[in-house]
Amino acid sequence: MAGDDALPEIRPLSGSVRLRRALQELPRDGAEQRAIEAGEIDAVIDYRGANVIMFPMARRALRAAASRASAARRKAALETPLANAVLAALPRDEYLHLLPALEFVTLEFGTVLHEAGAPIPYVYFPLDCVVCLLTTTDPERMVETGMVGYEGIVGVSLGLGVDVASVRAVVQTAGSAMRMSAARFGRDFRRSPCLQHELYRCASAKLAQARQTAACIASHHFEQRLACWLLMASDRSRSEDLFLTHEYLATILNVRRVSVTMACTSLRSRELITYVRGTIRILDRAGLEAVSCACYRSVGFPRAVA
Amino acid sequence: MSRRTVKPKPQAAEFTTVVVLRLYVAGGAPNSMQAIANLEAICAEYLKDGHKLEVVDVLENPRRAMAEGVLVTPSLSKLSPQPVAQVIGNLSDKRQVMLALGLKPHGG
Repeated sequence: MAGDDALPEIRPLSGSVRLRRALQELPRDGAEQRAIEAGEIDAVIDYRGANVIMFPMARRALRAAASRASAARRKAALETPLANAVLAALPRDEYLHLLPALEFVTLEFGTVLHEAGAPIPYVYFPLDCVVCLLTTTDPERMVETGMVGYEGIVGVSLGLGVDVASVRAVVQTAGSAMRMSAARFGRDFRRSPCLQHELYRCASAKLAQARQTAACIASHHFEQRLACWLLMASDRSRSEDLFLTHEYLATILNVRRVSVTMACTSLRSRELITYVRGTIRILDRAGLEAVSCACYRSVGFPRAVA
Repeated sequence: MSRRTVKPKPQAAEFTTVVVLRLYVAGGAPNSMQAIANLEAICAEYLKDGHKLEVVDVLENPRRAMAEGVLVTPSLSKLSPQPVAQVIGNLSDKRQVMLALGLKPHGG
């Protein structure tokens, strides 16, 4: 009876050797053996290998649960009303056609979606993340020239027949997005007039935004620009809290850190914003709009360009 | 040698002492989930607020399970009051769990 006969039936799956070995280490005729025979055990602790070995049944159940959870998350992300304005604007059947090619992804702060001068691998439809577009001026120096949130698409140039990025796209606010491979996007884009229309609208908005940014940098005070920038970032992340450091702002707006701190202090003294390290909170949106330059009203708000 | 003392038998009706329990589970595996549900039902019925339950996921924390001498999951340990007791399995045998916890069933 001792040896293999005393062990419960285990199908020869990978890992079953280790499971068998761990089971042999268990005390004979203990409560453990009785529970195993009754099928009430999920896993054995393998003291020799210092890990946990699952029973095949339990392992399968965990895998099935994990895949159900990811399917549910995906489904929840796909339910209408859609978080991304471009996808939401497509007719239902067009959207359902795109759906199998869309992949739900979670993006961390600082993730580079595409590099300047490199091919664009994916087109991103942000759901609740914000992506900033950085243009290289000198080597090692990048300035923000665009910001994309739920209102737009990252990788617009693919639709304009250019598959190499002119800017670097970096995630500024972590969140989720739907993405589609560049090749698949190209095929669907040629086929769908609605998608073309939406993309041209986005491209035109981006162009207007870039023009306005250039004009703004040339003609407005930094404090006005900062107020405008904070409002734009807040609109796109749909939150009054922005998780940014002064250093980050100084880098992407290409000013000295001291200038950022001075402008922030000035805005805080008027109770328009408040900040602690790493977080800026907008307290008075209307007040901040009054301080910001006219650029915010002309191209800043996502729906203003719709 | 030490003197033997007869401990007063704890009364099932009064829970002045808090029962401290620790349940070791393997993530969301079926028997583990069942053990949590069974234990919660027993605690809600018999222990009310007089208990502290900690659920330890051995998949996240295998070292801890090893340090505490756990062999298989799910397994339940009663740490306090003394004596310590252990129940192994999905805790579907309510009588056995209550015996280990030092509880008497209603009207029994």
